[in-house]
Amino acid sequence: MSKKFVGFIAIFMVMLFVSGCSSKSENTSGGKEKITMWFWGAPPEHQETMKKVLVDKYNKSQDKYELTVEFRNSVDKDISVALSSGQGPDIVYGSGPSFVIPLAEAGKIENLDKYAEQYGWKDRIVEPIYQSGTVNGSLYSLGNSLNTIGIFYNKKVLKDNNWAEPKTIEDLVKIMDEAMEKGMYASVTGNKGWKPVNENYSSLFLTHFAGGAKVYEALTGDTQWTDPEIIAALDKSAEWYKKGYLAGKDYPNLTFNESTQLLADEKAPFFFGPSLVYQFASHSFSGDKAKDLGFMPFPTMNNETGEPQYTLGVTATFSINAKSKNKDEAAKILDSMMTNEFMNEMTKSWPGYWGVPLKDLQIDTSNMPELSKGYAEAIQSMVEGVNKGHFGYYTGVFLPPATQQIFLDIESIWNGQMTSKELMEKAQKEFDKEKEKGLVPPTPEPAK
Amino acid sequence: MRKALNYFLLSPALLISLLIVFIPGLLTIIVSFTDWNGVSTTPEFIGLQNFNELFVDSIFWQALFNNVKWTLIFITIPIVIGLLTAMLLLKRKRTKSVYQLIFLFPYILAPTTNAILWLNIIFNPVSGVVGYLQEAGIPIDSPLSSMNTALYAVAAVDVWHYWGFLTVVFLAALRQTPLDQIEAAHLEGCNGWQLFRYVYFPTIKPTFNILFIMIIIFSFLTFDYVYLLTGGGPSHATEMLSTYAYTFAFSAFQVGKAAAIALFMSFFGLLASCFYIWMSRNELKN
Repeated sequence: MSKKFVGFIAIFMVMLFVSGCSSKSENTSGGKEKITMWFWGAPPEHQETMKKVLVDKYNKSQDKYELTVEFRNSVDKDISVALSSGQGPDIVYGSGPSFVIPLAEAGKIENLDKYAEQYGWKDRIVEPIYQSGTVNGSLYSLGNSLNTIGIFYNKKVLKDNNWAEPKTIEDLVKIMDEAMEKGMYASVTGNKGWKPVNENYSSLFLTHFAGGAKVYEALTGDTQWTDPEIIAALDKSAEWYKKGYLAGKDYPNLTFNESTQLLADEKAPFFFGPSLVYQFASHSFSGDKAKDLGFMPFPTMNNETGEPQYTLGVTATFSINAKSKNKDEAAKILDSMMTNEFMNEMTKSWPGYWGVPLKDLQIDTSNMPELSKGYAEAIQSMVEGVNKGHFGYYTGVFLPPATQQIFLDIESIWNGQMTSKELMEKAQKEFDKEKEKGLVPPTPEPAK
Repeated sequence: MRKALNYFLLSPALLISLLIVFIPGLLTIIVSFTDWNGVSTTPEFIGLQNFNELFVDSIFWQALFNNVKWTLIFITIPIVIGLLTAMLLLKRKRTKSVYQLIFLFPYILAPTTNAILWLNIIFNPVSGVVGYLQEAGIPIDSPLSSMNTALYAVAAVDVWHYWGFLTVVFLAALRQTPLDQIEAAHLEGCNGWQLFRYVYFPTIKPTFNILFIMIIIFSFLTFDYVYLLTGGGPSHATEMLSTYAYTFAFSAFQVGKAAAIALFMSFFGLLASCFYIWMSRNELKN
């Protein structure tokens, strides 16, 4: 081996070492500064929508920065790991406010108060959602979209069987019983591949059977999670599961995609699920079938107001990495996502995920396809309801992380592994510990 | 000078061991005594609290018991199938390679691929084999949906993917048996079982022992198929120590508790390793 070659190798190794040690270049090949955002692994058609409406539009709007979005299937885990080591994207995706609190307290994400003031977010965003993004009074995250649990139904199935849209729990139960007698599923849903789906059902029974006001008391410590009304609501969930009202034995075997397919195939009248399910419905309710899909709020037990109650949730949150070199620009991008224009454009081809929580939501459904129209109208009604204080709580949004894990165990009650009281005693114990550590997200108060 | 050179040459291996084994191991032990949430820079020392909480946690015991069941399944079923198939293949002169290739196929596929295959093509009640049989009027449910069968269904998928590998390894070991011993055994009138027990098995024993121990170690670390097929459900029926630790680390932000579970997993691996060393020493003595 010649001395020259050895020298070249040595220089190459040193360069490699130095380049590895130096901080990662933030510039793109075009000389623009790079702004990164990580997002969950959405289907290709939805990735395309995001690219068109958010990425391309932003990149064309200026020539100093370039926004890139990475779609990752394990985004939650990736974000936690990256941020804890001082890395990660500029715009931080989160699965809800409870995900954000530890990051905020560790100083991993930026305090957004100055941007909230600059862009007027407090005045624009639905109050309870804005509040849920705060930690110790300061804003750290913005919910990208409202999410609530309701009833997806197949209009044709109801019509063919002479069933009217259910207005009360009793109506609903009657139809489900008749559907089962006819060999259909009472409703379809399932947690195959994603156990956190259970949160939809713990939240549903808390909001519509125990009531938002009772859950508010438990969240604020005025009552215990073992309150008889909460226990009764969870017992009701077990009763419904055992009767087969929640897809029967197939609950662990169905995904949301498969459930919407069964609904479209007229195998069930209902699908109880979050409004974000609209994004899964485009494959099964395509073409002429799209007009068959309906969505209505879930009826509430002993509802004195007579107005629909909404389980208040967000599909995701966005924050800014405290280590980002382009925080102002990241905030500008977040602001562009908190607009009616963005909501309408995204919803047109991606219904279900972009119901931007604006107080003054202006939807334009004139050019929207059937599913997008249905979703936009559902969110519009929800905003009106939430503005009036008619809401309950999504456990994944308003409970701290370890307590939330216990609520995900609602399945244990259904399968007779433990009683509702035992589960709630466990939840109370964990909740007290997390409350002491300041991990309970701010709780907006519903109307009395 | 020579000693220094030896140390210098050893240093890359030592450095790697230090960085990726010793330091993370030590940190895991330290973290298990804290309430670290994975991102905080000021975790609090909480002594044995994580361990105490785990000891009274019924899900932890269920996960541990499931790991033991999983280990028992894996040290019996795939080993028996693997040995049996390897013995059968031993007699095949021309088709041996083709069979090995076929049997090894599930093993070389990614766990995600295998899991998708089983979830969507076999167990799916809408479009899978289960759904087809239901349509045909056969009253069958996916075994993944029952608390009584879910663990065995997941183990069956993992066994399906794994036994081919054991067959190939056992076959390679069986082929090392000296021909003169086999011929002598035949001349002495050995039957099939005696031939295996007294001629083939002593030859493959070292391979058998190491695989046996590795299976025990990996059974306590098992994660992929359980996570992909059931996520530990229904109602923790398939929960393993690894999936439970994952939930604590990445969903509940209780990395300290996850580290405590990881120590239990390592403890069983360590026990198996000690047993192997004891076994190896005994063999050498004999």
